[in-house]
Amino acid sequence: MKESVYDVFARKERGDSLQHIGYIDAPDDELARVYAWNTYNELNWFEMCVVRRSAIIAVNRTDGPFAGQGAR
Amino acid sequence: MSVPLQPADLDDTLRADVRRLLLALADTKRILGIRYSDWLLGAPSLEAGIAASGMAQDEWGHARLLYALLKDFGEDPVPVEHDREPEAYVSCDALDVPAEDWADVVALIAVVDSALTVVLEAFSEGRYAPAGARAGKMIAEEAFHGDMARAWVRSLAGGTSESRARIADACNSRLPRTLAWMAPDDDAAARLAEAGIMPTTDELLERFADRHANMFAAAGVQVPAPNREGWDAARGRGPGHPGLEAVERARGDLNRELFVE
Repeated sequence: MKESVYDVFARKERGDSLQHIGYIDAPDDELARVYAWNTYNELNWFEMCVVRRSAIIAVNRTDGPFAGQGAR
Repeated sequence: MSVPLQPADLDDTLRADVRRLLLALADTKRILGIRYSDWLLGAPSLEAGIAASGMAQDEWGHARLLYALLKDFGEDPVPVEHDREPEAYVSCDALDVPAEDWADVVALIAVVDSALTVVLEAFSEGRYAPAGARAGKMIAEEAFHGDMARAWVRSLAGGTSESRARIADACNSRLPRTLAWMAPDDDAAARLAEAGIMPTTDELLERFADRHANMFAAAGVQVPAPNREGWDAARGRGPGHPGLEAVERARGDLNRELFVE
């Protein structure tokens, strides 16, 4: 089963900034949600979301962790 | 709107019926947690194993909350959790033996976990007030189990001919007895429906089919009729019982001398 990397973001309280809290490998968006929640639910997050790393567009550098992976 | 029922409102017969339902839910969650825990390592991916771990912990936490509801009847839940023999368990028949492979685990999530949630939701919507007060968080956590089931059934069904056959076989073998457990067709179930504590047998089966038929159809599986052969009305499940090894783990036998309440 081909898997993609998904980055996981969350905020603790309404109004807090989203933090990058980690990543998971998953074969599709639905399992990415499940895996992210089960992997990172040690805190009582107000909101958690995932984004496929390939969808992230690097802005200011070409050697960052997300560079070269997103749409251009 | 119907009036909520408190534990003290129930006569002895109805109290025994509610107790049977509570034990069916709690025992099933406890044994299901053990079946999930067998796959914390050895799942198809690290993330799938972590998900199994999370679901196992959810089920054990829910079981603890459900056993605690026995206190409303003046019953100490500790011996219920730690001293019963396998023959006294009311867990769903489909959990009597461990899962053979990951497709079997997925079938447990899709079939047994889904059936559990149908029962729990129905119980929480009925007139028995303590169920409504305690079930909300459990049902919210179960939403991720449902997502896991749908995604993995779809994935296996859309994989190889082998994976499609395995998930179909696993679901087909687990469904008939699970449906009998989920929607009993006996006097106790009729009394619970009459009292407005649970839906009728047919309504429970319809709820399950309405909610999950599409998931099973993706694997080429039709929701079958319940298999009620050998139904044990005293316990509220089919014949047999979970294996001793699972019950020893459920009771915490190995660490009994370290048990401090």
